[in-house]
Amino acid sequence: MMRHDLIVIGAGPAGLSAAIEAARLGMDVAVFDENARPGGQLFKQIHKFFGSKEHHAKERGFRIGEDLLADAEKLGVAVHLNATVMGIYEGREVLVKHEDETVHAKADAIIIATGAAENMIPFTGWDKPGVIGAGAAQALMNLQGVMPGKRILMVGSGNVGLVVSFQLLQAGCEVAAVIDAAPRIGGYGVHAAKVARTGVPFYTRHTVVEALGKDRVEGAVIAEVDDHFQPIPGTEKTLDVDTICIAVGLSPMSQLADTAGCDLVLDRKRGGTVPVIDEYGETSVPNVYCAGDAAGIEEASTAMILGRISAIRAAEKAGFLGAAEFTARADEYAASLSKLRRGMFAPQNKGRTDMTETDEGYPLSKSLLAHGFLEPNEVSAFPCATVHEVGVHPVIECTQNIPCNPCQDACRFGCITVGDDIVKLPVIDETKRCTGCGMCVASCSGQAIFLVDEAYEPGYASVGIPYEFVPVPKAGARGHALNRAGAPICDAEVVSVKYTKAMDKTVLLTMKVPAEFASEARFYRD
Amino acid sequence: MRIKQHPIIDDYGKGAQISFTLDGKPMVGYEGDSIAAALHAAGIMTHRYTAKRHTPRGVFCCIGRCTDCVMIVNGQPNVRTCITPLEEGMEVQTQYGVVNREQWEADHQ
Ligand SMILES: Cc1cc2nc3c(=O)[nH]c(=O)nc-3n(C[C@H](O)[C@H](O)[C@H](O)COP(=O)(O)OP(=O)(O)OC[C@H]3O[C@@H](n4cnc5c(N)ncnc54)[C@H](O)[C@@H]3O)c2cc1C
Ligand code: SF4
Ligand code: SF4
Ligand code: FES
Repeated sequence: MMRHDLIVIGAGPAGLSAAIEAARLGMDVAVFDENARPGGQLFKQIHKFFGSKEHHAKERGFRIGEDLLADAEKLGVAVHLNATVMGIYEGREVLVKHEDETVHAKADAIIIATGAAENMIPFTGWDKPGVIGAGAAQALMNLQGVMPGKRILMVGSGNVGLVVSFQLLQAGCEVAAVIDAAPRIGGYGVHAAKVARTGVPFYTRHTVVEALGKDRVEGAVIAEVDDHFQPIPGTEKTLDVDTICIAVGLSPMSQLADTAGCDLVLDRKRGGTVPVIDEYGETSVPNVYCAGDAAGIEEASTAMILGRISAIRAAEKAGFLGAAEFTARADEYAASLSKLRRGMFAPQNKGRTDMTETDEGYPLSKSLLAHGFLEPNEVSAFPCATVHEVGVHPVIECTQNIPCNPCQDACRFGCITVGDDIVKLPVIDETKRCTGCGMCVASCSGQAIFLVDEAYEPGYASVGIPYEFVPVPKAGARGHALNRAGAPICDAEVVSVKYTKAMDKTVLLTMKVPAEFASEARFYRD
Repeated sequence: MRIKQHPIIDDYGKGAQISFTLDGKPMVGYEGDSIAAALHAAGIMTHRYTAKRHTPRGVFCCIGRCTDCVMIVNGQPNVRTCITPLEEGMEVQTQYGVVNREQWEADHQ
C-alpha cells in the first residue's frame, strides 16, 4: 500500500494545479491519470484562452499544459499515467488499475479532478463510423495530425462546437454547417463570428436526424425542430458530409465521488450530477474534495483556481499551512475566481435567455446569437466597433460581456481599456495614437479586433485582420474580401502580412479594399 | 488524410515510418501514431462489426472510453486502437464480434 499526504485523481488543469500547490507547501502528492499523457483537455486546445494575465489569458491551451507540467516536474510531483482510479473507499483508500495491475493507495486527503465526459444524442445511424465526438476530432487533428474527415457537420454550438469547428478549418477540413437544437448559439459570439466569417452557415433550431451511408457516413439529414425539440416533418435537408461531429455538451464525471459516499445533487447549472461541496471543494465526506469540471462544467481557467483552493484547504487541515496564510490565499483565489465568473456566460446565468443588453446598456446582437455574425446595423450600436479616427485604428467587434482583457494589456500606447471588471467591453481612447503594430489583433483571444484605415489611398481603405490559416497569402496577392457572414463582397489585395514571435502565430493580414467596404470586409480569401 | 501544414502546430512529434498489416494487407504509419490514427490517415473507418447486429463501428471517443474502436492486434482481441501506440510489424485485424473474419465466417456457416 502506497501512503501519501494527498492523492489527486486526474492530471488535467484542476488536478495538476492542485498537485503543484500542495507540493509547494511540502505535501507528498501522488497524481493518477487514466490517460497515457497528462494535461487533460489542455493539449487538445490550440487556441488562445480568455481571462486576464493571472488566468493565463492569450496563451494557447497546450502551452498552459506545458507550463503546468514543467512546474509539476520541478517540484517532483509523481504523475502516474495509464492509471485509472476505480473507486475510493473507507479511510480514503483508492483502488488504481495501472496497466494490468491493481494497486491500493491511501492518503490523508483526496482531490477528485476527473473532468467531464461528452454527452451523446441518439439519431438514426449515430453509431456509424464517421460519427465522432468533438474530443475525438480534436485528438485526431491536434494530437495525431490526421484530418477527422473532409467535410464535417458540427452538431452543437457551445464553445466546444465553435472552437472545434474553427480548429477543423485550421486543419484543412471543410465545415458544412454548425447546427444547434436551441434557438440560439450557445458559445461566445466572438468564437462563432470567426467561424461564420469564413463562410460556415449556422442553423439554430435544427437537429441531426440521420447519418446516411452504408458502412460509413456519406451524408447527414438535418431538420428544423419545434419548441419541444422534435423534428418538423418536411423541413429535412441533406448535407454532403463524410463526418458528423457531436459537441452537445459535457457531464461532470462524478462516479468516483459516488464510490466515496459523497452526497450528490443534480444541478443543471453545473452540468449534471455533482457532489455537494463547500467553498473549498470539500465534499460531504471529510477530506475528500472535488475540483474542476468534475464539480461543475466550467473552464480550464476556473479549474486551475479551484484545484489550488482545494489543495490549500487540504494543506491547512493537515498542518502544512497556517491559518492566517490560508485565509490570505483563499481570499486571493476567491477574488481571482470571481473575476471569471461574471458576464452573460457565467455559470449562474447558464440557460438564461432573457438578457437583451450588455452591462453597458448596448443592445445585444440577435443576429450574432442566431447566425453567428453581427448585422451592420447592430455593429453601429457599439462605440468600440465604430471608431472613425484618422489614420489606422482598431475596430473592436467584441459585443458580449465575457471575462477577458488581453486587448488592454497588448496596447502599449493605451488605446484600449477594459478596466478592473474584465467582463466589461473594451473602450477605445481616440486621443491615443495607434501605430498599427497589430499586437491587439494578435492578442485578442476572440479574434475580434481589426485595424482599419478608411483613407489608406484615395478611394481605398485598408483592413487588417487576424489570420490563422495556411498557406498565408503573400503581399501582392489578389482575391476577395468576405463580410461577417462569409459572403464575398469585393475585390481585395493583400498589402502586408505581419508576423512576429510575440504575436504567437496569429498573423496580421492587411488587405486593401474599396473605401465603401471598410466597415464590412472582415476576411480574405484568394 | 494527414495534415501537411498547420498554422499553429509545427510538429506532431512523429518519428520514422513503420510497416504494419491490416487483415494481412501491408500498411504504413509513423512512430507516434496510435493504431487508429494510422488507419484513419489511410481512410480506414471500420474497426469492427458488432456481434449481434453485425453493424460496423469506428473511432468515436478517441480516449479509450467507448470501446467502439477495438480490433484484434497481434492476435489479441478487444484492443482499444485509439490509445494503443502503433508498432513496427503489428498485425491488426478487423474484429467480427470478438474474432477475426475467417473465424466469424467459419462460425456462421
Ligand atoms: C474544445 C474545447 C475548448 C475549450 N476552450 C477553453 C478555453 O478557451 N478556455 C478555458 O479556460 N477552458 C476551455 N475549455 C475547457 C477546459 O478544457 C476544461 O474546463 C478543463 O480542461 C477542465 O479541467 P479538469 O482538470 O477539471 O478536467 P480535464 O481537463 O478533463 O482532466 C481530467 C483528467 O482526469 C482523468 N481521469 C478521469 N477519470 C479518471 C479516473 N477514474 N482515474 C484517473 N484519471 C481519470 C482524465 O484522463 C483527464 O486527464 C475547453 C474545452 C474544450 C473541450
Ligand atoms: S495596433 Fe498596436 S497601437 Fe494600435 S491599438 Fe492595437 S496594440 Fe495599440
Ligand atoms: S476584444 Fe479584448 S475583451 Fe474582447 S475578446 Fe478580444 S481580447 Fe477579449
Ligand atoms: S474510440 Fe472510444 S475507445 Fe477508442
